[in-house]
Amino acid sequence: MSNWDPRTEYGPEYRDQIEMAKKHAPNFFTAIVLLVVLVAGLFSSIYTVQPEEIGVLRRFGAYYGIADPGLHFKLPFGIDTIQRVPAEQRLLKEEFGFRTTAIGEPSVYSNEDFSGESLMLTGDLNIIEVTWVIQYRIRDPQKYLFQVREQQQSLRDASESVMRRIVGNRLGSNVLTVERVEIAASAREELQVILDAYDSGIEVSTVELQDVVPTERVQPAFNEVNVSRQERERMINEAEKRRNQQIPRVRGEALQIVAEAEGYATERVNRAHGEVVRFNAILAEYKAAPEVTRRRLYLEALESVLPKVQNIYVMPENGTQPLPLLDLKSSNSLQKATQGAVIQGVQQ
Amino acid sequence: MSSQVKKRVSGGIVGVILLGAVVVLSSAAYTVDETEQVVITQFGRPVSSEIDSPGLHFKKPFIQDVRRFDKRLITWDGDVNQIPTLGREFIIVDTTARWKIVDPLLFLQSVRNEAGAQSRLNDILDSVVRDKISGTDLEEIVRSKDYKVSHSDLEDPALTREDVDLTAKPKKGREELTREILEDARKSMPELGLELVDLRLKRINYIDDVRQKVEERMIAERQRIAEQFRSEGQGRSAEIDGETEKQIREITSEAQRKAEEIKGNADAEATKIYGESFGQDPEFYAFFKTLESYALTIGSNTTLLIDADSGFYQYLNEIQPAPK
Repeated sequence: MSNWDPRTEYGPEYRDQIEMAKKHAPNFFTAIVLLVVLVAGLFSSIYTVQPEEIGVLRRFGAYYGIADPGLHFKLPFGIDTIQRVPAEQRLLKEEFGFRTTAIGEPSVYSNEDFSGESLMLTGDLNIIEVTWVIQYRIRDPQKYLFQVREQQQSLRDASESVMRRIVGNRLGSNVLTVERVEIAASAREELQVILDAYDSGIEVSTVELQDVVPTERVQPAFNEVNVSRQERERMINEAEKRRNQQIPRVRGEALQIVAEAEGYATERVNRAHGEVVRFNAILAEYKAAPEVTRRRLYLEALESVLPKVQNIYVMPENGTQPLPLLDLKSSNSLQKATQGAVIQGVQQ
Repeated sequence: MSSQVKKRVSGGIVGVILLGAVVVLSSAAYTVDETEQVVITQFGRPVSSEIDSPGLHFKKPFIQDVRRFDKRLITWDGDVNQIPTLGREFIIVDTTARWKIVDPLLFLQSVRNEAGAQSRLNDILDSVVRDKISGTDLEEIVRSKDYKVSHSDLEDPALTREDVDLTAKPKKGREELTREILEDARKSMPELGLELVDLRLKRINYIDDVRQKVEERMIAERQRIAEQFRSEGQGRSAEIDGETEKQIREITSEAQRKAEEIKGNADAEATKIYGESFGQDPEFYAFFKTLESYALTIGSNTTLLIDADSGFYQYLNEIQPAPK
């Protein structure tokens, strides 16, 4: 069935239609092409700038203007090009010695080793690790795009060299403790000077030191110093405490000893006074009536003593045996007398 | 020819002319970006001096080419090198620099492209840095000109070092050193059409061996200091305990001395009082006191043998008093 020809097959009306189609085909084709071109043109002439962005326009490569956030038109087909840059109010961040992998409460950090960024030498030639964060803004989008090629790298290089200069100028233990704030402030100033010299269009907002620590191997020894310092304080405090507990107690005991002695003294003297007063009174009586007083005292004494005594034997002057005496006391007394001790006779 | 064919042919000719124009135009027109500077070459040879005003420009089509060069600051990052200092400490130095193409024509002629430039920079800068570092002490490299140590730091036992002079102020310092390296590099660099703008010592560290030794030293140092603190604590605490002991003894012995004194005085006074009183009639005192002691000493277990003519029992025998 070669050489199938619709003209002969389908008749004249169809032949006309085909003729018409063939005549209009080129126009149809161009119409499609034109449509495609138009749509492409439309797409390449509309652009948006997001709220935290700034658009930098170039016409034939030359700076043309700044586009604020929103919907804009430009010349199509690459005549005008748009490059977006974070806006000035956006705070951008660079981390040194660590990376945050997820922001949150708490943030998550990468486990990778960034010690190349954080190891540095101090003024006393010790080694420490310093981690820090820079926050910056793009002040001038034109300069940012047109003056320095690798902006991020340049910023990082400058920051690292500044931090090392500052830390290298100070003693390690000061960097670890008291000079952190100074260091951060100096770092910010010096970094800004360098970036301005590069004409980078970047403004450094803050430099914040994060962990500043001795290297891992050395840390236990550093901690030991702190612990031992505290221990020294503790030992001294405890000795002071012992002193403060014992001295007042001993002082109290001392006072007690003295008070007891004084009590004894008072009592002794008072007793003496008391006895003496009594004696003096009796003496006066005696002096007034000696015989009578003497006998009275004697008899009173015997009155109080003799009732208590178990056995009394009255001896005649020349006799060797006691006079029989009616014993009004118990019947055992005679036995006891012959068994028990014999006390010396009372002589007048 | 038919009119239709004539139309087609003329349309075709127009199309061809149009196409040709476009091709020529696209070869003659070129843009220069804000970040670029260009050199026009003709048959491989440079023709005009650098053109760096951004925008649309025209050149001879087909026979002239555009060579583009960056106008911005370009980063050079050196190899990390192990370099010994003047004091024979081996350190690792990482330098960075910023440069830019200032004469693209010359640049093209001398190094041809950036790769060529980076390689030349490598050679020059590495050797300049190496020369400088190996001729300088580590303190000079690390510290800056305004380095100073406060008195309190020097006296802090936790900071003392035997191997390093803490007070040595560098003669030049890091900044000056870096400047000198830059100067030397500029001098050593032949005319390449580029300018070395900035050079910085980005990182300085010990090599691993040295680092280990330094860390060991730091550990030993810290341990020594910790030991010192501890023994200070013990010493001071023992001192205080000793003082306390001494004070206690003083207080106690003083109190006892005083107590004995008081008691002694009291005894003496009592004795005096007794003496003054009893001494008025010693015989009567003896009589009186002895009677009292009979009352105390003679008790229920006692047996008495009394003379019949004693003063008590005499009346048992005779009613009249016995002759005295």
